[in-house]
Amino acid sequence: MKLQTLRSIIEKKKNKSEFAIITNLSNGESEIFEKDKSLSKEMQIYSNQINEFFKLKKNGVIENSEIFVETYVLPIKVIVVGAVHIAQYLVDFSKSLNFEISIIDPRGYFASEQRFPEMKIINKWPDEAFKEIETNENTALIALTHDPKIDDPALQHALNKKFYYIGALGSKKTHENRCQRLKEAGFNNEQINSIHGPIGIKLGGRSAPEIALSIIAQLVSETYKK
Amino acid sequence: MKNSFDEKILEEANDWVNANQKVVLATVIQTWGSSPRQVGSRMIVNEKGDFSGSVSGGCVESAVVRECISLIKDNKPCKRLEFKVSNESAWEVGLACGGEIAVYLEQVN
Repeated sequence: MKLQTLRSIIEKKKNKSEFAIITNLSNGESEIFEKDKSLSKEMQIYSNQINEFFKLKKNGVIENSEIFVETYVLPIKVIVVGAVHIAQYLVDFSKSLNFEISIIDPRGYFASEQRFPEMKIINKWPDEAFKEIETNENTALIALTHDPKIDDPALQHALNKKFYYIGALGSKKTHENRCQRLKEAGFNNEQINSIHGPIGIKLGGRSAPEIALSIIAQLVSETYKK
Repeated sequence: MKNSFDEKILEEANDWVNANQKVVLATVIQTWGSSPRQVGSRMIVNEKGDFSGSVSGGCVESAVVRECISLIKDNKPCKRLEFKVSNESAWEVGLACGGEIAVYLEQVN
């Protein structure tokens, strides 16, 4: 691989664009493929297969050829509501995973830069904050404040936008009350039951890093189910 | 939905190049049967034999490192390696898991 290609791959990853690396295994020549961008002459005959790999987000050698395709997928957007202690560990865990965390917390004393270095915290109420973040069915929500004023609007947004994972921290009782409020707000049972509450898989631990681990484990598991 | 774990291996390769090291990328390009790491998994090796990342669960890394060092010495651009099931003789390089993998080596230049 040419150093120049390597560097533009790194740049594209930084810019969060979706692309594939196409390598001719017989001579080691490689190029970057992007949607709506034309391939080099020698790769053009494989254009259909390359597009197919790209669409399926698949890596592999094209059948009966010496062409290897490696697809890069975008990181998964995870919105965390509540810049609390657990959120600090979620940020740590996500560093080795392909999750891109954004934290929303209207309470300035939680969302301080010192608690979350190198991390952009949106210091606004969820309704305002969601105007700044593009979300869709591939987005996840982790609600951690267990304060209805802050969590509920975020949960409603996530349900309306059909996030693939929605989890909310709080005891069984807290969650029952939350479900009741969502029902009154007009959400149906299927929507309400899709919320993971109490959040996380059962690990037994009660400390902040242990709860963060149980949440991340559930998130990874749900990501692969989709 | 497919979640790729971002191992930042290419970023590390770039750092090594910036530190004037010669770097070989080793990438899993095909697998048959049960293999520990999926297609696209990668490790990098420099001329001293330092390495980062993985192409198996530790089964074939030492052989890959040796091959990468010779690639740099012989100044060849690329090479394809295949690893099959190891037999019972001790110390032989192979995949104890019973799978087969093809690994592609390429120099960064």
